[in-house]
Amino acid sequence: MSTIADFSGYTPTWCPGCGDWAIGMAIKSSFVQLGFDPSSVFVVFGLGCSGNMNDFLNAYAIHSLHGRALPNAIGMKLANHKMPVVAIVGDGDCYGEGGNHFLHACRGNHDLTVIVHDNGVYGLTTGQVSPTAHKGAKSKSTPKGIIEISTNPLALALTQGATFIAQAFAGDLNHVTEMIKKGIAHKGFSLINILQPCVTYNKINTYQYYLDRIYKLDAMYDPKNYNLALEKANEILKEKFPLGLLYQVEKPAYHEQALNLQDKQTLVGKSRFTDIKILVDEFR
Amino acid sequence: MTSGLTFSKLASRCGYQLFDYIQYPSLIRGGHNGFESIFSEEIVHSLKKEIDYLVCLNKQTYELNKSRLTSTSYILYDEQEFKVEGPEIKISIPFKKILYDLKGEGVMKNIIALGASVALLQADLQTFFDIISDQFARKGKEIIVFNQRFAQIGYDYVLQNYADKTKPLLIKKTQIPQQLVLTGNDAFALGSIIADCRFYASYPMTPSSSVLTTLASWQEKTGMLVRHPEDEISVINTALGTSFAGVRSAVGTSGGGFALMVETVSLAGVSEIPIVIFLSQRPGPATGMPTWTEQADLLFAVNAGHGEFPKIVLAPGDVMEMIELTAKAFNLADIYQTPVIILSDMALSEAHKSLREAELNKLIAEYKVDRGKIRANPTAKNYLRYSLSSDGISEMLIPGLRNYYYQANSYEHLEDGHTTEEAAARTAQVDKRNKKKETYLHQHFLGPKIYGDFNRAETIFVSWGSTKGPILEAMNMLKEQATESAFIHFTHLFPLLTGEIKPHFTAKKRFILIENNSQAQFGKLLQQEAGIDLSERLLKYDGRPFSPEEIAQKVI
Repeated sequence: MSTIADFSGYTPTWCPGCGDWAIGMAIKSSFVQLGFDPSSVFVVFGLGCSGNMNDFLNAYAIHSLHGRALPNAIGMKLANHKMPVVAIVGDGDCYGEGGNHFLHACRGNHDLTVIVHDNGVYGLTTGQVSPTAHKGAKSKSTPKGIIEISTNPLALALTQGATFIAQAFAGDLNHVTEMIKKGIAHKGFSLINILQPCVTYNKINTYQYYLDRIYKLDAMYDPKNYNLALEKANEILKEKFPLGLLYQVEKPAYHEQALNLQDKQTLVGKSRFTDIKILVDEFR
Repeated sequence: MTSGLTFSKLASRCGYQLFDYIQYPSLIRGGHNGFESIFSEEIVHSLKKEIDYLVCLNKQTYELNKSRLTSTSYILYDEQEFKVEGPEIKISIPFKKILYDLKGEGVMKNIIALGASVALLQADLQTFFDIISDQFARKGKEIIVFNQRFAQIGYDYVLQNYADKTKPLLIKKTQIPQQLVLTGNDAFALGSIIADCRFYASYPMTPSSSVLTTLASWQEKTGMLVRHPEDEISVINTALGTSFAGVRSAVGTSGGGFALMVETVSLAGVSEIPIVIFLSQRPGPATGMPTWTEQADLLFAVNAGHGEFPKIVLAPGDVMEMIELTAKAFNLADIYQTPVIILSDMALSEAHKSLREAELNKLIAEYKVDRGKIRANPTAKNYLRYSLSSDGISEMLIPGLRNYYYQANSYEHLEDGHTTEEAAARTAQVDKRNKKKETYLHQHFLGPKIYGDFNRAETIFVSWGSTKGPILEAMNMLKEQATESAFIHFTHLFPLLTGEIKPHFTAKKRFILIENNSQAQFGKLLQQEAGIDLSERLLKYDGRPFSPEEIAQKVI
């Protein structure tokens, strides 16, 4: 059995009070509770404050470029589909720079768990607006307020084919842990969007802001209902944030449908193909 | 276009060597398509200026090519469709009437013309029938017989009406060596399979696309996983993911797609993840001329990626070199844990050349997969992914081994992979990565190959990549005119080992730099890396490959 300490690298450098502390702990707790150890899981870190977890979390990992974590994660899964793959990314990282990769990864139902730190700002570059900032949000790059409306990550994931969509709040460690565990256990593309105050740069979306606007989906909520999930996702337009498992459906993951990955052998583990002769006939 | 390839295969199966080249516009339908095939008992390296046999399926082919015809050229056409007035030998085939009488579709003209060509060149009709059978095997016997019937009609028409005009140029040999007819792209695909590449990702872009489609069509046989993601950025990042996980991986594209990949070329450099990049050039800038050829991405490839890190750039000159260097590239990428770029261009990627199968079999038998310091089990107990070493190369552990873990880091890092901004550690890691270049230069760099008699030659051609073919043909032409020339051909373009190159340029000779670009990019590289200044140049950047004639003319 592994422990939290096994997964703990350097002491985090996040600001005191940053939601990343709770998310980092939730990730480690869920890994321990799922019976992982640092050798048994692939992690890709995007670039930003969230990606800086690279030095604080032990695993077989790539600390990627800004926006590029998902294609790296897809590659890892295709090469060794027996290993779980977790992408730890930010909102600017995943919905901005990597937005195209995000929607296509949803379409592919790649078996990844994507944990998005959604704080509405670019913390590491000192607080410019991110794609999830609400219209009108003022920042150093938008002194008169951002003109664009916020992206709708949950609706985007839902409409593009993600098969597991959850939302959590960084102020509730146990719930974040629970959602991450469910997301990793789900076979297919899992999005866990974590609402997270940036105590240094985001003076709008504070702990209190979220506490006034979040609510947990109740036990009667049916996560198999696509239209209901879309309705819930759209509550962002009214600044309401449902927490919990919004949507889950069982569909074959990408690797289960890809040629050459359907047998038990992984791409990295299978034996070498040497029968070149059978290929050259078409060139005669 | 398939008819052209059919003819090339016919020449090969009759025991001749060949080279062919395709011209087509960037259109799905329409425009003028041309296919030139040259065959000989000797090895053929490139096109020639004059056309011996011009097959015109429409008037445009005649108009576009009539300046290349002579009084000994043959022209196959239908006098019901248009008139020809030049001095060439005219063979009129009533395509229109045959199609009308036998209710054939327009496309059957190709088969009639091929049948007529078989007769004119005294080739073997049964061999042509066999190719038709292979080509239409999936479509069933009826289609095969239908096509063979039109071939027979074209063949018979020539024998009945032009028997005196036939020439014994393509008579089937009795002893025929096993040959393959391959494009440069086919060769890259084969080379990657020989090298045990298990993952190929690409976003379609002419002229690299047929690598993607060929490898995709082989997947069930080879076990390779072929993926076509949303864009080139995803292409190379997916491949870096598979490579990190221990799988030999490659990507393919042309200049525009490579431009999108460049950010991640740099990531591969610092995180030391192996990757092979197939870059088939076409004329730029931007969309340029998609279906034509150029060698103008050399310095872009050499300089691709922000920051400083080692990179290897190789450029094969023909299909056999493409197979060899592709297979080698995968070893180099693993040994040096860095990006290796194979530079091709449309002229190499899409032109066919015949290849003796024995040569391929020899290469396959001798090739050894060398993964360098990529290990399933590390040698030291305290594993450090980026450990400092005398050759600059650290052990790369294939992820998954119990009791170990590490991160491949895009940030500057310590030996164990953790991020650092500390001055000494930074300098040590930069020095370590730079050392890989020195190690490569002394262990795997190959100097240029010299063709011709260097000592006797007055003129020395200097070039790289696909210009090899026309230069070799030009040398033959010059020799017939009693002018001796030699040729320094580079395949290992970057980095260059100065000490090994310089001696070639000390002799008092007339050096002519030949490149398919407007700025003499390899000339600049030679200047920069070895201080060699070649002032006499023959540069071509109209989208067409060189003809041997224009190279020979430069000399005389």
